[in-house]
Amino acid sequence: MILAVRRRAAVFAAFAAMVPKLYLAYNAWVVVEFAVQILFMLVFVAFWHAVYANAPTLGGLDVRQTINYILLAQIVAPLVQSRLILEFGGLIRQGAIAIELLRPVDFQARYAVESLTSLVVFAVQKLPLLVIAWAFLGLRLPVDGEAWAAFGVTLVLGSMVLFFTDWIFACLAFYSTETWGLSVVKIAVATFFSGALVPLPMMPEWLRSIALALPFAQGVAVPVSFLGGISPVSALGPVVLRQIAWLIVLGIGSRLVFRHAVRKITVQGG
Amino acid sequence: MRRYLSLYGVFFVQRLKILLEYRVNFLIGATSTSFLQAAGLLALWVVMRQIPTLNGWTFDEVLLVYGLVTISESITHMFADNLWTIGHSYIRTGEFDRFMVRPIDPLFHLLADRFCHDGIGNLLVGSVLVVKAMSGIGIPWTAGNLIYLSIAVLSGGAIFIALNLLTATTAFWLVDSTPVTFMVYNAYEFAKYPLSIYGRGIRIVLTWLIPFGFASFYPASYLLGRPVGLLAWMGPVVAAVFLAVAYRAWQHGLAHYTSTGS
Repeated sequence: MILAVRRRAAVFAAFAAMVPKLYLAYNAWVVVEFAVQILFMLVFVAFWHAVYANAPTLGGLDVRQTINYILLAQIVAPLVQSRLILEFGGLIRQGAIAIELLRPVDFQARYAVESLTSLVVFAVQKLPLLVIAWAFLGLRLPVDGEAWAAFGVTLVLGSMVLFFTDWIFACLAFYSTETWGLSVVKIAVATFFSGALVPLPMMPEWLRSIALALPFAQGVAVPVSFLGGISPVSALGPVVLRQIAWLIVLGIGSRLVFRHAVRKITVQGG
Repeated sequence: MRRYLSLYGVFFVQRLKILLEYRVNFLIGATSTSFLQAAGLLALWVVMRQIPTLNGWTFDEVLLVYGLVTISESITHMFADNLWTIGHSYIRTGEFDRFMVRPIDPLFHLLADRFCHDGIGNLLVGSVLVVKAMSGIGIPWTAGNLIYLSIAVLSGGAIFIALNLLTATTAFWLVDSTPVTFMVYNAYEFAKYPLSIYGRGIRIVLTWLIPFGFASFYPASYLLGRPVGLLAWMGPVVAAVFLAVAYRAWQHGLAHYTSTGS
């Protein structure tokens, strides 16, 4: 029994070990994405300064809180963004999906491990960005360890919520051969409703209720609000419970949807 | 020139046949980019409904800036999207060799090879925004304004193509040029808003170095009667200069092309 668990852990550890190699293989991309993120941050800082020239507070947030939130959201949003649908689309197009499904490893668990490892790798990769935003763009970080812990816990749980959401969405690849357009649509919806562009308290009531009914905010707005000093640490308990509820529902849902969708598979090329 | 135009027609028809073979896919691709724009616009609306102006620009005026740059972007997206893929889809795979032995210009062949339907969404969104903004502000639809608008978006599109061509040329040395193109192209995010909200350094860069300002801010300012002087008319000149420089760089790169194949 113990031996079996150890063997299984070793398999997943091997998958996890591949992730950093995958991302560090393309140095140029790491540097470029870095530069582009700084560029976007400059746009956002200028934009929000211009916005607040006319109003002392918006949605109960002052200029400092908003810029803090937006800078952090810009760093966190790419950490939790996966494009599983493109991965599925590629596997189906090349027929490699047939081999993947035959492997003696749980298909979804493998991707979940990769997703969690990516989160850690990305988080380390984005540290210099955090320092730059702190040194030059006016980002304020809490000194309170509890805020960091609340951020860490909700980020990990939130990233898993988004993983299961992505998994369900990616099953569309079994029905449509076009996945690029679908991935763009998903990114657009997820970016807005995750609160990466505008803090949720600024949205009108109807839009905020849609954002809260969707899972995307769990990965960005929820953790960032703890680190940005918008949500107090005392609110952590109910927030984590809500995230766990999301996890259970979406976790079971994703397995059911996949089991159904995989029957549609047509491996091209015989 | 006529030969190339008719050739483009032939390429275009073939491409359309491929695209329309899967009609639902075509529709998803063509409309997908408009969802991204909708997300950005919704965010802008959420913010601007709570403030009277953004640095003196009303919501409709900002939409005019946003719309103009979106139309300009759609031109490169539809007609020059292969500049993004030249490295990994043509040079790395050795496919580019095919263009070298054909009796037509390799750059023309590269661009004509793939009309990209994903840009249609941006064209639609941009056009709706410009029409909505101009009607909202009350800018008359005179012949003069229409001609000015056409020149502005064509110059804007040409600036996008020139910058993408310039950065795509690095593929002849780096093999994959996408990261370089990605970095410069994304500077257009600045041009979605009035340049006056940025500091002097960014304004200079967006005017003379990566001149996306001519794709949105300067023509919008002219139409709104805001004083930008000669810069309102400089778009075509800047576009021509950048296109010429980019084409020279392309020719230089082409002369140094060594196939990756064996």
